Amino acid sequence: MANSYLTSESKKLATWYFTVAATLFGAQLLFGLVAAIQYVIPGFLFEILDFSVARMIHINALVVWMVFAMFGSVYWLLPDETGIETVGIELGKLLFWVFTAAVTVVVLVYIFVQVGAADETSIWFIHEGREYIEAPRWADLGITVVALGFVANLFMTGMKGNRSGIVTVLMADMIAFAGLYLTGMFYTDNITVDQFWWWWVIHLWVEATWEVFVGSIAAYGLITMIGAHRKVVEMWLWIEVTMLFGSGILGMGHHYFWIGTPEYWWEIGALFSALEPLPLVAMFIHVLYDWGKMQGEESAKGKDVSVITNKPAFTWFVLNAFGNFLGAGIWGFFHTLPQVNLYTHGTQFTSAHGHLAFFGAYATILIGMMYIAVQGKNGIKVMNNTTSTIFATSMITGGVVGMTVALTVAGYVDVLVTRAQMGATWAGYFDGQSGAWFAQGMDWRLVMGVVTFTGFFFLVKDLLSIGKATHHVR
Amino acid sequence: MVNEAIMTQDILADDFLTIFVSSTLVLVFGGFYVGIYTAVKVKLLKAWTMPFGYLFWILTAYCLYLMGSLMHVNELTAKALVVAAIGILLLPHAVYYMQDRVHEENEH
Repeated sequence: MANSYLTSESKKLATWYFTVAATLFGAQLLFGLVAAIQYVIPGFLFEILDFSVARMIHINALVVWMVFAMFGSVYWLLPDETGIETVGIELGKLLFWVFTAAVTVVVLVYIFVQVGAADETSIWFIHEGREYIEAPRWADLGITVVALGFVANLFMTGMKGNRSGIVTVLMADMIAFAGLYLTGMFYTDNITVDQFWWWWVIHLWVEATWEVFVGSIAAYGLITMIGAHRKVVEMWLWIEVTMLFGSGILGMGHHYFWIGTPEYWWEIGALFSALEPLPLVAMFIHVLYDWGKMQGEESAKGKDVSVITNKPAFTWFVLNAFGNFLGAGIWGFFHTLPQVNLYTHGTQFTSAHGHLAFFGAYATILIGMMYIAVQGKNGIKVMNNTTSTIFATSMITGGVVGMTVALTVAGYVDVLVTRAQMGATWAGYFDGQSGAWFAQGMDWRLVMGVVTFTGFFFLVKDLLSIGKATHHVR
Repeated sequence: MVNEAIMTQDILADDFLTIFVSSTLVLVFGGFYVGIYTAVKVKLLKAWTMPFGYLFWILTAYCLYLMGSLMHVNELTAKALVVAAIGILLLPHAVYYMQDRVHEENEH
């Protein structure tokens, strides 16, 4: 698609990032589907693409597509927020190609090499064996360079141009986001120590820096899509930052319950985990408040028109408010206290929570940003839904919610049979896995995975074609 | 130490479902409370629906109590749950107050 309406190089770069992100999103879903089939047909692709490999690519592609989409989102909003072209944009473009090439090589190695000898060469050239961030060390170093370049561009642009509240929050957040990656890079031969630091990446990303990022993007989206007042939105953003960091940082304790860390983490984890849903409730109010207020102002003027200038994107932003609350809030809260986490930890409950939380909290808003980019790229003033938008939104959302429910049912069998009745023994594990409810849960997860994957094709079709539709206001 | 500090009593197998349902309902009811409160304030809902919002908060608090009791939480966690319940009660008030003040300053 031609970039005819994009005059900013930063926004052009953003569309590149979104394109790779969407491709990796497809890879994530494809390999997730392979892993889901292997739960139902264990011999599927045995010794060709084992479950361990399919799952590894599934969850690493998840993290990487989201990072790509986050970088793209920042490059998209920077010119709007700062009023200038992104400083160091040529460096940004070079780093984009470095990042894309590195990710391509890493994925090919995951698929075709898979495992190596039990020595340091595997850590350097194949993968590190750390869930979610398995990139081999050479790629780790490359990612660090790319992230530093990205942060440098953000800082230089923020300091040179108009530094809005959104940009200020992003500057602080992105330096923490990039810095925390370093804690998952070094090797220790003690698994407890290794896990202790590894959680600094995963937890402090998803329950602190990424959530703050979502707050910033939501703020930008509300200003651009419904004309929300900047002062209100930015004041709210600071409240969110305070609440998210206040509960999210020490909420990390809920990952330290059973890995060999001191027992005081149980108390810390319980206390701050109980408070973690509060900012998610607050973010939910935020969207509702601004939408209601702006629509009310229009209605008061006697105008019976929607204030929303990008309906597909706004739908995904609203889904984000609900999805964050449901996936991270509800599905997180019901197994976060140590008394019950003793039974649920590492069961399919965790998987149910992971699916809905990553989708609800992050995938939704990043897809929304892709639609904002499509709108800008095609010079559309008011962008309306198409049939594909409706199919994509309902099938992806319905599919992920369906997977979550199926995994929750399977998780309940895990908890009751494997843990509570059989005491987390091998016999208990096999009893749980062979139970009818567990097996049917896995069947339904596969069905819902297919629904999600089909919805992804509608999403791609929509992103590629919605700009050409004629029912928008231009 | 473990038994005294936190794991005072194992959860009964029959209680798991109630625990999961009640902890889910904590945030479902909490969401209804917050949603109704905010919707009334921004005039998306009529004022007479506000008591239903507070009814949902009472249900939220009850579910927290039920969940905590069945889990046999220790004293500190019980206090944390009380703080969470009060936090959910106060949150929309505080947020609406601040947002409204900023709105007024912004517009007048």
